[in-house]
Amino acid sequence: MKKKQDKQFFVGLRITDEQRSLLSKIQRNAGLSKTEILLKGLEVIGEYYSLGLDRPPLSLELKKLEEEAVHHAETLKHIRRREDALKEIIRELRDIDSIVDKYGGDASALIQILLDIQAKYRWVSKPAMIWISERLGVPMSRIYHTATFYKVLSLKPQGLHMIRVCLGTACHVRGGSKIMETVERILNVKEGETTTDGLFSVEGVNCLGCCALGPVMTIDGEYYGGLKSAAVEKILSNYMKSGEKA
Amino acid sequence: MKTVGRLNSPADLEKRQQEIQAKRDPDRPIVAICVSTGCNALGAQKVMEAFKTELEKCNKAGEVEIRQTGCLGFCEVGPRVIIYPGDIYYFKVKPEDVPEVVSKSIIGKQVIERLLYTDLVTGKKIKKLEDVPFYKYQLRLLLEDNAKINPKKIEDYIALGGYSALSKVLFEMKPEQVLEEVKKANLRGRGGGGFPAGRKWETTRNAPGEPKYVLVNCDEGDPGAFMDRALMEGNPHIILEGLIIGAYAIGASEGFIYVREEYPIAVENMATALRHAEEHGLLGSNILGSGFSFRVRIHRGAGAFVSGESSALMSAIEGMVGEPRPKYIHTSVKGLWEKPSCLNNVETWANVPLITRRGADWFRSVGTKGSSGTKIFSLVGKVNNTGLVEVPMGITLRDLVYKIGGGIRGGKKFKAVQTGGPSGGFIPERYLDLPVDFDELTKVGSMMGSGGMIVLDEGTCIVDVTRYYTNFLVHESCGKCIPCREGLRQILNILNRICDGKGKEEDLQTLEDLSELLRETSLCALGTTAANPIITSLTHFREEYEAHIKEKHCPAKVCKALTAYYINPDKCQACLICLRNCPSKAISGEKDTVHVINQEKCIRCGACYEVCTFKAVEKISPPLPPPASYGVKVIRGKK
Repeated sequence: MKKKQDKQFFVGLRITDEQRSLLSKIQRNAGLSKTEILLKGLEVIGEYYSLGLDRPPLSLELKKLEEEAVHHAETLKHIRRREDALKEIIRELRDIDSIVDKYGGDASALIQILLDIQAKYRWVSKPAMIWISERLGVPMSRIYHTATFYKVLSLKPQGLHMIRVCLGTACHVRGGSKIMETVERILNVKEGETTTDGLFSVEGVNCLGCCALGPVMTIDGEYYGGLKSAAVEKILSNYMKSGEKA
Repeated sequence: MKTVGRLNSPADLEKRQQEIQAKRDPDRPIVAICVSTGCNALGAQKVMEAFKTELEKCNKAGEVEIRQTGCLGFCEVGPRVIIYPGDIYYFKVKPEDVPEVVSKSIIGKQVIERLLYTDLVTGKKIKKLEDVPFYKYQLRLLLEDNAKINPKKIEDYIALGGYSALSKVLFEMKPEQVLEEVKKANLRGRGGGGFPAGRKWETTRNAPGEPKYVLVNCDEGDPGAFMDRALMEGNPHIILEGLIIGAYAIGASEGFIYVREEYPIAVENMATALRHAEEHGLLGSNILGSGFSFRVRIHRGAGAFVSGESSALMSAIEGMVGEPRPKYIHTSVKGLWEKPSCLNNVETWANVPLITRRGADWFRSVGTKGSSGTKIFSLVGKVNNTGLVEVPMGITLRDLVYKIGGGIRGGKKFKAVQTGGPSGGFIPERYLDLPVDFDELTKVGSMMGSGGMIVLDEGTCIVDVTRYYTNFLVHESCGKCIPCREGLRQILNILNRICDGKGKEEDLQTLEDLSELLRETSLCALGTTAANPIITSLTHFREEYEAHIKEKHCPAKVCKALTAYYINPDKCQACLICLRNCPSKAISGEKDTVHVINQEKCIRCGACYEVCTFKAVEKISPPLPPPASYGVKVIRGKK
């Protein structure tokens, strides 16, 4: 009976099971007696509240350490992100290498090379342009000139879904511009922009070559012909759902 | 896959053609499905998949050939399926129709009435393609083979006598003779200008400098036109054969095909065609063993209308930005890399094999005196039958719009035809009996252009369409010369003002002055022809401009600022549909109470107008609807 009582009490105080197991660990590993534990505890409490000691309070130090750890973690994340970005760029540049090689490094194939990059990445990034300039020996100014001149090439990342609203003449006379206005209104973007969530890019195109079906829009190459503006919202909402899943 | 041997002589080609034909069983059923852009958009791929699974289910997969073909032109009623033998044409075929087609038409050889074409006027089903009004008045020399050929198979083209013209030219004719034949045929450039192709070829042939180049222009940026796409997608070999013949006549050793990136199927099919032709010894070195060598490369354009201009196109191929340069010396003398270069449109090249195969005299017998042959138009806009039509030159606009096009949609009134895209003009009703050829269209201030033909009805605002073209050109102008860059912008500003109801009376004079300036002083054809829509609309439809300016009235009720939507209380059935569809919640009303549009909240999107089944929503211009009265009870008609 007495033995059991011993286990539940520490210098006359009732202790929990966890405290008891901690106690036995300290006794075993640190080799301290009950009295020594009591005294050590006193010291730690004093230190913690900075009583009678010259050192800064432990709480403050702990807080500092914690801040430092958070900072390091952030930096690490940042470095990782940069590492990933650099890896991504290197991968892209390797791809560009193979594209440039496909055209035999011929400077007259500049537009074809840019088109291939656009098709693969949905935009032409600055590192890509610098690298092409390097590889083809074409000045950056000319590459920039070309990349901004052509409609198909984009210098901004494009959204996950590409919406193309046909604004060709045949679609125009059948109300293509109203379809564009509706898309702009629903997504809250203007023609040529990407939604802030990166889900949709909206583009007006001059002719999709299926004038018989006008007004037409395509989303990721899927055609929606004979459109009415009232139907647009429903079509877009399908992509919004699938976008969330992705 | 069977490996194909190189053809080393005309006899080889003939033998191959006979072999292919001998192997073909005329009784073998073929399902020909159009898989070009228009029909694909309507679900042709799904129909094809359905045929595949259904034929497998019936264990007929080996017996029936599924042939993917190019465009037949009548995109309106796609997806289109033809069943051979028997030449049964089915339109608007859905995947769920496929089992019936397989069991009844392919196995049972019966015709399914339901899927045949329905005549718009009589409502009767039409079995033969030649009897369908849309096709009846056409003369399909170039597009006909699109229904028979799988564009990815060179065998299909050879079976129809393809490349026999090339073989004839290489072994039986001197280059000069070919040139003479094309000159005699009076083949004129199909890209818009109508310049005689033979003369162009001759200039390049005689110009000093080697090597010489031949080029195909498929930068079909003209909004509303897609005939080059249909040819490129449906029958790439006919273009290639024409190009090789041209190269032989001109003495060129290298060729380029410039295709828009926006036409992915065309790029793919052309690339396949080049590969197959090379494998067969019809392209590359020592073609058909004749000693003549010729190579072709594809260049993809990246979406710039101005790049279709000859000097711009050549700059683009050189790897520069596709901007035009001054042409004191023609590109046919100094073009690509400063060498003599002959550029022709897709359709022009496609006519060449026909001319060499059937002779210049035959070609001249088609069409008018000044313009021989046929022309493909894309007949679109407010007509009943839209699509690609190939007609002999000289057909009247009236025949095009009413006989082939089946008249105006919804029984509305015809207003104008716009030809030639942003470089062309509006042709009003009084010129409907005008024969369509290069010279006649120019006489009335428009032009043939590449063949876009947009039909406008009373519901189209001429000022708005003119503004549309100007806006298009402002965006597409390369900005190199001032008249085009600044002049067009000013014109657009004025047109915007007129459409917004803020036009001034002197604006019309300013428009005319600016147009004249553009025509006189621009660097390239984009600028010099940019004024055509403005000038022709001012000539033929001046009263519409005046209505916008003086009465603040848009006769077609299109211009937003000059139009209001109004619910007619006598017609409104209080069905709540418009109310639910209004994005700006501008419509008030409830069950049994007439709905009213709050004009302050209305953004004029037209959603209510579209969804109303009782035609109660009306457009009003000038935008002054009668005062609204709320809470009026619906009077329901007995019928």
